[in-house]
Amino acid sequence: MRRPWVGGLTAAWIAVVSSAHAAQGVLLRDESLRAAASATAAVTGQAARGNVVEVLARQGGWMQVRTNGRTGWVRMLSVRLSEGGERVSGADLAGVVGLGTRQADPSRVVAVAGMRGLTEQELRAARFNAEELARLDGYAVGRAEAEAFAREEGLAPRALAYLPAPARNRSRVNTWEEPQP
Amino acid sequence: MMRRGLIAALLAAMTVTHAADLNRALRELLLGQPPAQPSAMGTPPQQPQQQPPAERRPGELLGGLLSFVAEPPYSAEEERNIGRTVAGGLLGAAPLVRDDQLQRYVNRVGRWVALQSERPDLDWRFGVIDSEDINAFAMPGGYVFITKGLYRRLGSEAELAGVLGHEIAHVVRKHHLRLLQQSRALADLGAAVGKRMQGGSPLAANFLGNFWEVFARGLDKEAEHEADRMGMVLAARAGYDAYGLPAVLQEIGHLSANDGRVAFLFKTHPHPQERLDHLAEALAGRPELPEGKEVRQRLHRVR
Repeated sequence: MRRPWVGGLTAAWIAVVSSAHAAQGVLLRDESLRAAASATAAVTGQAARGNVVEVLARQGGWMQVRTNGRTGWVRMLSVRLSEGGERVSGADLAGVVGLGTRQADPSRVVAVAGMRGLTEQELRAARFNAEELARLDGYAVGRAEAEAFAREEGLAPRALAYLPAPARNRSRVNTWEEPQP
Repeated sequence: MMRRGLIAALLAAMTVTHAADLNRALRELLLGQPPAQPSAMGTPPQQPQQQPPAERRPGELLGGLLSFVAEPPYSAEEERNIGRTVAGGLLGAAPLVRDDQLQRYVNRVGRWVALQSERPDLDWRFGVIDSEDINAFAMPGGYVFITKGLYRRLGSEAELAGVLGHEIAHVVRKHHLRLLQQSRALADLGAAVGKRMQGGSPLAANFLGNFWEVFARGLDKEAEHEADRMGMVLAARAGYDAYGLPAVLQEIGHLSANDGRVAFLFKTHPHPQERLDHLAEALAGRPELPEGKEVRQRLHRVR
């Protein structure tokens, strides 16, 4: 229920029952379907950009999908989850808060009953709350406690370099297969 | 670039005196010293405002427009005070969720992830704020907040670690301080072309407003992309599945832009799909990040 990739849904079902999370997406790139969640796993088929997929599971950077009757693992970032997976109400569809409007009209924001988030106006009007800040300080966790907490689940630190910015500093949709110029 | 150069030149030419005044006022504010102003209450000022000409560092002459190449000129104490001021303001808008176990849990995860960063020994503070909005915030000095609305959508500790890792990256890279420097520079420029400011107090009065402006405008797109790349790696360094953050982005990426709960997030960040595309590009052709733990059982659930 909480995750979008709980499997077994169909497009028709989603169209009718909009209160559940969809496990549906679209392939952003041509992809090989693999037998397991690994770049070295055997290729069991191909799927094309634009193909609709049902998401059955996720494991690390991989998603198990079903498309055109075949099942296989593809890179997670090659899948765009479809809109409509979220519970949609009539009020939502009314479309209230204009994206990119610098000065959103507060009265219009309120129109999404119970759905309104923090607004710029609320933040600007907020009073400094020293009590809450003191409460926050009370939850502080030191190094030793954090390390013990990590050990409980066998989390061990690993030396890894940060990912450098891509050479061309622009996001493009179809990049997996592109040769670097 | 040319425009930036022009502004910098203008600034250098026009605001040499103002920069010193404004900077002094800012320091007074941040260090908690009362701004010595002509007293309206009949009490004489503690110390006459007989300031020596402030020494001018090159970065200050340009009013911080070089901030993306230079370290923001705030001391650790100033950074902390900025963070506390803004954190206290945010908590004034949305208090902490009344759940001690939850707050403690988020601090444990957050601190563990922060320990993998370049600033492991900051006084990190993590909090879940009582808002149905879907968002997370970072403030200078190590303050990180996640809304209940976003927290509730998380499916694992690894996802929480990824979200917190993104915010920790903002703190580590001082993204907000750099932007604050820029907005200060723009304020300087405005003052220079308009009327002269007196004593620098207008900046002090507007300081928090300036910071909210930073939040309202959002950071540079590249800063968000950098925080995403770092957030994945910080979570992976901490032993978690690196793909927790992308999973969250996918989860919120299909929410409608008309949904009030994501309006602020979408306004201040590139669209989640653009962020995912950027991550895909950053990961392409590189060795795979090592597998990590999702830790689903331990995730503290909120009502």
